[in-house]
Amino acid sequence: MNVFLRLCLAVFLLVCVASHSQAQQTVSGRVTQTEDGEPLPGVSVSLKNTTTGVITNAAGVYVLDGVPEKAVLVFSFIGKETQEIAIGTRTAINVQLSPTSTELTEVVVTGYTSQQRKDIIGSYAVVSDKQIRETPVVSLDQALQGRAAGVAITQSSGTPGGGVAVRIRGSTSIGASNAPLFIVDGVQVETGGLSQREFGGQQDNALSLINPNDIESMTIIKDAAAKAVYGARGSNGVVIITTKRGRSGKTVFTADAQRGIVDLTRRPAMLNATELLALQREATVNAKQDADQAGLIPGVTDAVNTDWVDEVLRRGIFQQYNVSASGGGERTKFYMAGSYFDEEGVQINNRISRWQGTLNLDHQASDKFSFGNNLIVAYTKNERIKGDNFLDGVYSGAMKSLPFYAPYDEQGKLLGPNNPGYAGFPNFNPVAQALLPRFEAYTVKILAGIYGEYQFLPGLRLRSKVSMDYNNVTEDQYESSRTAIGGFLPSVGGRGYGVNSTSIYSTFINSNILTYTKTIGKHAATALAGLEVLQRTERSSSVTGRLFPSDDFTYINSAGIVDQGGSFLNRSGLFSAFTDIKYSYNDRYLFSASARYDGSSRFGPGRRFGFFPSAGASWRISAEPFMQRFTFLDDLRLKASYGITGNERFGDFQFLSRWAAIPYNGTSGTAPASVGNPNLQWEATTETNAGMEATLWNGRLTFVAEVYRNITNKLLFPELVPLTTGFGSIQGNVGQVSNQGVELSLSTVTVDRAVKWTTSLNVSRNANRVEQLASKEPQFRGYTTSTGRTHLVQEGSPVGTYWGLDFRGVDPATGDAIYEDVNGDGQINSDDGTVIGNAQPDWFGGITNEVSWRGFTLNAVVQFSYGNQLVNFANTALLNSGESLADNQVRAALKRWQKEGDLTSVPRYVQGNTYNSLFSSRFVEDGSFARLKNLTLGYTLKPEWISRFKVSNARIYITGTNLLTLTRYSGSDPEVNSLDGSTTAQGLDFFTLPQTRKITVGITIGL
Amino acid sequence: MRKTYGILLFSLLLSCKPVLEPKPIDILNDDIALNDAEDVPTAEIGLYGALRGMAAPTVIAGDLTADMAVNNGTFTQYIELGTKQIRASNANVESLWGNVYNTVYSANIILERLPKISGVPARQKTRTLAVARFLRGYAYFIAAHTFGDVPFVTSTNLTANRNIAKSAKATVLDSVLADYQSALVNITDSSVDGYANKSVVRAALARFHLYQKNWTQAELFATQIIDSKKYRLESQFKGVVEKDFSDESIFEMGYSISDDPGTSSTGLNNIFVGRREAIPSNQLLAQLLSTEAGERRATLTFNSTQQKGDDNGLSVAKYGTADADNNNITLFRLAEMYLIRAEARVQQAKLTDAAEDVNVLRRRAKAPTVNATNQADMLLVIERERLYELAFEGHRWYDLVRTGRAKAVMSAFSPNWKDAYERWPVPQTEIQRNPALAGAQNPGY
Repeated sequence: MNVFLRLCLAVFLLVCVASHSQAQQTVSGRVTQTEDGEPLPGVSVSLKNTTTGVITNAAGVYVLDGVPEKAVLVFSFIGKETQEIAIGTRTAINVQLSPTSTELTEVVVTGYTSQQRKDIIGSYAVVSDKQIRETPVVSLDQALQGRAAGVAITQSSGTPGGGVAVRIRGSTSIGASNAPLFIVDGVQVETGGLSQREFGGQQDNALSLINPNDIESMTIIKDAAAKAVYGARGSNGVVIITTKRGRSGKTVFTADAQRGIVDLTRRPAMLNATELLALQREATVNAKQDADQAGLIPGVTDAVNTDWVDEVLRRGIFQQYNVSASGGGERTKFYMAGSYFDEEGVQINNRISRWQGTLNLDHQASDKFSFGNNLIVAYTKNERIKGDNFLDGVYSGAMKSLPFYAPYDEQGKLLGPNNPGYAGFPNFNPVAQALLPRFEAYTVKILAGIYGEYQFLPGLRLRSKVSMDYNNVTEDQYESSRTAIGGFLPSVGGRGYGVNSTSIYSTFINSNILTYTKTIGKHAATALAGLEVLQRTERSSSVTGRLFPSDDFTYINSAGIVDQGGSFLNRSGLFSAFTDIKYSYNDRYLFSASARYDGSSRFGPGRRFGFFPSAGASWRISAEPFMQRFTFLDDLRLKASYGITGNERFGDFQFLSRWAAIPYNGTSGTAPASVGNPNLQWEATTETNAGMEATLWNGRLTFVAEVYRNITNKLLFPELVPLTTGFGSIQGNVGQVSNQGVELSLSTVTVDRAVKWTTSLNVSRNANRVEQLASKEPQFRGYTTSTGRTHLVQEGSPVGTYWGLDFRGVDPATGDAIYEDVNGDGQINSDDGTVIGNAQPDWFGGITNEVSWRGFTLNAVVQFSYGNQLVNFANTALLNSGESLADNQVRAALKRWQKEGDLTSVPRYVQGNTYNSLFSSRFVEDGSFARLKNLTLGYTLKPEWISRFKVSNARIYITGTNLLTLTRYSGSDPEVNSLDGSTTAQGLDFFTLPQTRKITVGITIGL
Repeated sequence: MRKTYGILLFSLLLSCKPVLEPKPIDILNDDIALNDAEDVPTAEIGLYGALRGMAAPTVIAGDLTADMAVNNGTFTQYIELGTKQIRASNANVESLWGNVYNTVYSANIILERLPKISGVPARQKTRTLAVARFLRGYAYFIAAHTFGDVPFVTSTNLTANRNIAKSAKATVLDSVLADYQSALVNITDSSVDGYANKSVVRAALARFHLYQKNWTQAELFATQIIDSKKYRLESQFKGVVEKDFSDESIFEMGYSISDDPGTSSTGLNNIFVGRREAIPSNQLLAQLLSTEAGERRATLTFNSTQQKGDDNGLSVAKYGTADADNNNITLFRLAEMYLIRAEARVQQAKLTDAAEDVNVLRRRAKAPTVNATNQADMLLVIERERLYELAFEGHRWYDLVRTGRAKAVMSAFSPNWKDAYERWPVPQTEIQRNPALAGAQNPGY
């Protein structure tokens, strides 16, 4: 701290002390309850940190003498929220006390409305701002990991801002989207990748464009009773996100700073030059060739020993800073925030930065009319890196590249094509591949809405809102002549390759909702009717140039040939009417019915509209007279729902028999492009849900158990037809997928004394099965193998089923792989493929423990997945039994069969032999894991230490993510998905960057 | 107040239409794609686009099934062709089959709809219908000689065409002849590069009759083209290798810089030059280095840095270099007409005339001329001449099969050769998806 700051602090402290006069006064007032304004007798009114106090009289009035100026009064009463009020110079203070908010009375945003938790019939999971606030993640979907039952979240890789797969109650679809609908402040936001270029399977993530710190709560809705009001978009579940809004009262300033380091969870263990050379010589000799003649000479070949993985990785810096102010008066409330986020990837030259501003306003213009807005403007810069299924990827290249080559020459210059010592195909200097290309994506996201609300009568309100989600992505890319694409690939020409593209994705939505709430005696009802119009526009353009004069000229203006480009526009829309009615009798029998009538532009004229109804009921058993003797029971409910939801999220205009432009020799004609299906319609999921919720011992134990069965029909799935029809497929609407499951959530206040220990646990099981498809023909997905592809979609198996040869071990006599001869024809070939596993876990979930003691809190989130399998597809190259000598090998290769009698699972190495490396169950591994996802130790500074700095609260904390992982998986990380976003080809590890471990420290200060 | 809400509701309903029925961008529906006179010329161009899709897989069939090339990459589809272990699941097989039927569909939709469109000038209508019949005929010609018996699709009816049995090769070829003959009458005689005209149809008829062993007819049509003087041989063979739309090109599938097939798995530049999935065989190299071949060795290029292991460092030169795009695929050119006529003449015992036709090409290639000896020798001369001249233009395998020489030549080339390879298999997926093809796979697959 410099001298000036010390001086300022000294002056500040002096002022504080000086103004601390000892004047005393009498304070009086009246205490009422918020519900009905009735006076509250018996309320304790005391001076904070003293024993001085009085009790309110029958009229709720109190009078307290000898109150020092600046004192704080504490108002407390059983069943009411305690309030502390600094009196300042006031002598009359009236107070309204509201009921204690418990889990049961907590208000949850449930879609178009909000409800108290105890009245909810549908299936929900809520994740609050408090739970995710200190998690150092870039995107909000990452923050949900392990938090909610039935919600499986997989980060596709450890790349910051990379793809995240969110699946709520399994995968309902094969051909259409399986991502849930994300609604932020009423507008459907973009999810998934926005980039026009996928980087070897990995994409970017549109949800990383919003700052999770501006989020107040996320509600995940899971069953038909809750979702049917989202109709044709509801099948995959809905995540409703509300951003923070201002509250009346003192202006609250919050500043938050977090900074830390990022590292890989685990680095892959590769062979060094000497080990690899010995292995390659052995493979060459086994192939009856002369290793010396093949140029594999000890002391020469392995003279260079480069650890490529080490060369391309670094320890990254993570930092984020948020400031916010919120508050307001009786009529106007505001929330304003600014933030900066920056994460360096663990791969050199990989980084994502985001700047965001937020302004949410609410204004009560009159007793009846209010209006307001929400506005988020975010600017993100993403410096990307190629990976996975790219020979010229960075991490992928580093794993594969032979240690015999060096990244730099003797002068310290990066080696490139045409330099002696450059390995060339298929090993392109991964360090150069990281440092030289420019893959920058700049995104502007504007999430904005304005609303007006009018109250016609008490309980009858109309709310109209217009919102938009606008995303403008500019991608600026150049691969220099010293990279694989820009310099090595013959078809590009060896003189640089530049791409510039722009994409705009915008969604406009107008919703108009009329609600009516009425309570008559024991009858309470809420009814809602809404109309909604949604229009989405997608515009894109791109241009490619090559043959640049030199690498000092990197924009397409300088390209010698500009020979590829295009532009595109697409629109789609939804027009919907919906209603939702809830009724309860005596707070004991609750019923709900909802329905949505959706029109979607994605379907043909005859099938454009769809009807999605639901019904639900709940019985609060605990309110029945015969249950009253169980005094420990706060609440016990049974609930059930049934309904139909849809999925319309797939390509546009698929119902048309389309003609497309066909360029021909410098001109352009038109030709038929597909056979239409005028009867095309949404996928329909019939959902049944039953559950039980219990709260015991004053909220010490909460238990929720649910079972569900969801049947999706009319799958939007290309129906394969013979090519004699002119085309290989038509857009079909046939097939069935089922998802059935169980979800258990338990939360306890285990210890509630000086030490408070709370635990929440969620465990889920989802059984997915493809029940019926239009055709019996095997439908392969994923990467190509000798038996087809890594994945298969077939009737009777879940999506994500692996297909390949069944590996039965290594013959101790010969060292060759033994495969099951499935069809018994005496030979092993592509007809011997069989199911060899699947990516679906048997059980998954999370456990969160929090222990607090005197301002210290320790919070641990453990996420687990049990019974899923992974395909270590990278090992088809990295443990390849000598098929190719162009790849480095993992250390498991040291366990290979070498002599008769060796008992091992790694076949012998023979150069050029493909038999031992055929894709088989040898590459399928148990992917179960338990992971300490997040561990935070925080300390809230005592108010007396900080109050004189006008700081109302201050907290410091240290957070670690992915600190510990228990798994038997041999790859670097069990949480992977090389084909980011794919449902049918999940669970693939193909040189995928492992998850990262972050250790950050942070401070939060509130004024 | 009520009125206001009425208006609000009304305006919302009005806004329904643009939201729910956005105009498809750059996509046309069947109903409007071909419903007035202005749509016809673009639809006609589109037909050529469909036909062009067939051209690359035809070259792959004609050269890679035979002894012209070996595999040199990682794609299974080329490894199978190179090592003569061809399977029904080969992607090239499916690609050719699919492009044949896509061309047939595009032709059929025009043949079905164009007669019903009013306001199209008769001349335009006649010409477009003729183009459609010619291209359909060509597609079925390739299909029949590649696959043997094939489903004979004559409509765009989805229900009928997804369950359709094979027709006899002869029946299919009868329809090819009918399509060609009708086209010859009605097609106009324009001479725009890349489009069909009467000469193109005649060239197709010459080849058709050669394959059918109608020697007089083959000679007749070849002579008509040669005598028309519309085309003349490039003065140097290099011109054939390097030029798009050379002087002797009769019908060529054109690619411009904007519709380059790029890195698609059937783009010939990508297969032969970029990825080098298939490289010229050593046998072909030996033939092209013979003095008889002369300058036709320019068909190949050699790069010593690529020579290692099984890679002989050779590449095909007819489909351009990485920089200078030259992806055009020649379907008919004048040299082939000389070779058709020469073969037809030999078969009719006009040996001297035949030798003269061969020598036209020999002289151009600066190779020694040939003297007519006997019929059998002359047939072998022509077989070799076709190899020198037409390598990588999709002829070799079809020639060996139709002349009955496949077994002799191919068994010497590969121990894996079997007679079944004189036809390509029906794509595996067709057998699976088309109930009428169940059990109807070509023998040996």
